[in-house]
Amino acid sequence: MQTHTPPIPPDAPVGLVLADKWLSKVEDAFALLAALCIFGLMLLGITQVLGRQLFDMPVPGYIDFVELSMVTFAFLAVAYCQRLGGHVRMDLFVRLVHGRTRWLLEFVTTVAPTLLVMVLIYYGWTHFMRAYEFGDSTIDMEIPTWPSKIVVPISFVVLFLRLTIQAIGYGRLLIHPDAAPVAVPMILTEKDIAEKEIEDSLGGDRS
Amino acid sequence: MSSFDIGLIGVAALVVLVFMGMRVFFAAAIVGTLGLVAIIGWESGLGMVGTIPHSKAVTYTLSVLPMFILIGFLAFHAGITESLFDAGRKWLGWLPGGLAVATVMAATGFAAVSGASTATAAVFARVAVPDMLKYGYSRQLAAGVVAAGGTLATLIPPSAILVIYAIIVEESVGALLIAGFLPGIVSALIYVALIVGMATVKPELGKPLRGFTWGQRMKSLPGTFPIFLVIIIIFTAMYEGWATPTEAGALGAAVVFVMAMIKGMRWGSLREALMETAKLSVMIFSIIWGVLVFVRFLGFAGLPDAFAKWVVALPYEPIYIVIGILLFYAVLGMFMDAIGMLLLTLPVVYPAVIGLGYDPIWFGIIVVKMAEICLITPPIGLNCFVVNGVRPDIPLNTVFKGVAPFFVADVATIAVLLAFPEIVTWLPTLMMGK
Repeated sequence: MQTHTPPIPPDAPVGLVLADKWLSKVEDAFALLAALCIFGLMLLGITQVLGRQLFDMPVPGYIDFVELSMVTFAFLAVAYCQRLGGHVRMDLFVRLVHGRTRWLLEFVTTVAPTLLVMVLIYYGWTHFMRAYEFGDSTIDMEIPTWPSKIVVPISFVVLFLRLTIQAIGYGRLLIHPDAAPVAVPMILTEKDIAEKEIEDSLGGDRS
Repeated sequence: MSSFDIGLIGVAALVVLVFMGMRVFFAAAIVGTLGLVAIIGWESGLGMVGTIPHSKAVTYTLSVLPMFILIGFLAFHAGITESLFDAGRKWLGWLPGGLAVATVMAATGFAAVSGASTATAAVFARVAVPDMLKYGYSRQLAAGVVAAGGTLATLIPPSAILVIYAIIVEESVGALLIAGFLPGIVSALIYVALIVGMATVKPELGKPLRGFTWGQRMKSLPGTFPIFLVIIIIFTAMYEGWATPTEAGALGAAVVFVMAMIKGMRWGSLREALMETAKLSVMIFSIIWGVLVFVRFLGFAGLPDAFAKWVVALPYEPIYIVIGILLFYAVLGMFMDAIGMLLLTLPVVYPAVIGLGYDPIWFGIIVVKMAEICLITPPIGLNCFVVNGVRPDIPLNTVFKGVAPFFVADVATIAVLLAFPEIVTWLPTLMMGK
């Protein structure tokens, strides 16, 4: 969906543009890690089935491994998805309003989640600390659970930074409603979404 | 203020936030968090919320989702659509409106490796529409059949949305996946009957395509084998229990991956398919834990029980209440993504429907079919926009006119499923004793 990111206008605040750029690199790296873990889950699944059915040798602790690794694709890409506007929402009313009203709606619906994510970081961290201090581990293979639990607050820190950048982006538009949007996801029309879907389905034709 | 009142305020607040355009998982989690704090206090409320994302997301059953999504994104690289359409036109082209029939059956086959309606519509708009126009098919019919054919993808396994339904209502994932199969086929056959009927009455809509030899027909089959392989893997895994849904999904993904490699997929395309899978997966996981925070709050407020009791006590026949609920979904589905819509509403609606005595699996299939219909109806009708996007020469209103008969067919399908719930429940009962 990066193709829908508008070109950076010349009067854009340099700090915001740079922050957006640097955070995007971290998000891309996290998302790629999540993507590779999904591919890894596929390989692990095949190994497990073939090992069990053909050689009577299942992967030891398979379910433990899968469950603990699920945090990667459940959380790591959360900020990446937020940047690209990929999380589900109903934009019916946001589309109907324009100018300052629209930016106010976007600002409010970005700032409130920022506060929520702060809470989630703190309590996600204590959830991790408990597991770390008590040496909590899985029942089957006794794999420590803390490396899995720490992924949640880490992912949420990135999400917090992304939301902060977006809140500043919307705040800027609230003050200057006519400025070109920077560091905020664009509202896509049906036409845009359709184009995106068509792009996805192009598959092998593209390479 | 009683917990119940707090629950009602919570629901109202959620509606307001969603309408304001807040991301659904944030809206659900924020309202759920505040509600829990209001009912059980700061320390226990926030402590509970803090553990939900990790503990709810890290559940083995959910690991099937990225596998199914991956199959879908890889399928576009495996060149299966062309093979399917080619086989369809050679085997079914002789029917009135034969190429349109072939499109429906090819889309049905493709649904076995894809759970994404809009992307399926896009790919068939490219593969099937040019051929139909070449043979003088009406543009309305060509565009309509492609837009409607895409919606078949979600009922026929692998379908991410049915997995999500199963997890939210705590039903067997396998049972839901198998249950979608027959209704998917019934939908397709009703489409076929409609096309044949229309083309018989008005032959100018699309003429039959004859003259293929049996040799040509046989030769068209091998390209479609990966589809059958994936179907066999998923079905026998559910039936014989030799693999969990996740493992079956991994095998299915591997089959499609190998196909895509043979077709010359490069690292760039693979990376893109994986990144899209990661993005869609995190979107689904986020909304799952967000809604579960909200559900925990609703539970404390006692709202789902109260709503279920109220609905059951209504002085109407259960069937009218269910139809009312379905109409509510039809309206909501016009403005919201199906996954978000189901997750948000099911915690409250589901206990009520079960209280009325309906089968949970049956209801899941009906609701998903309902959400699909919204992809071809105005004002959003995303599939129609997709077809128009691929073929800008076919105006949007021609596409909408083209899908109108298929919309009627879909309503007929829903009526058939309401009248004969066995179409949904027969296969899962037979295969899994559910």
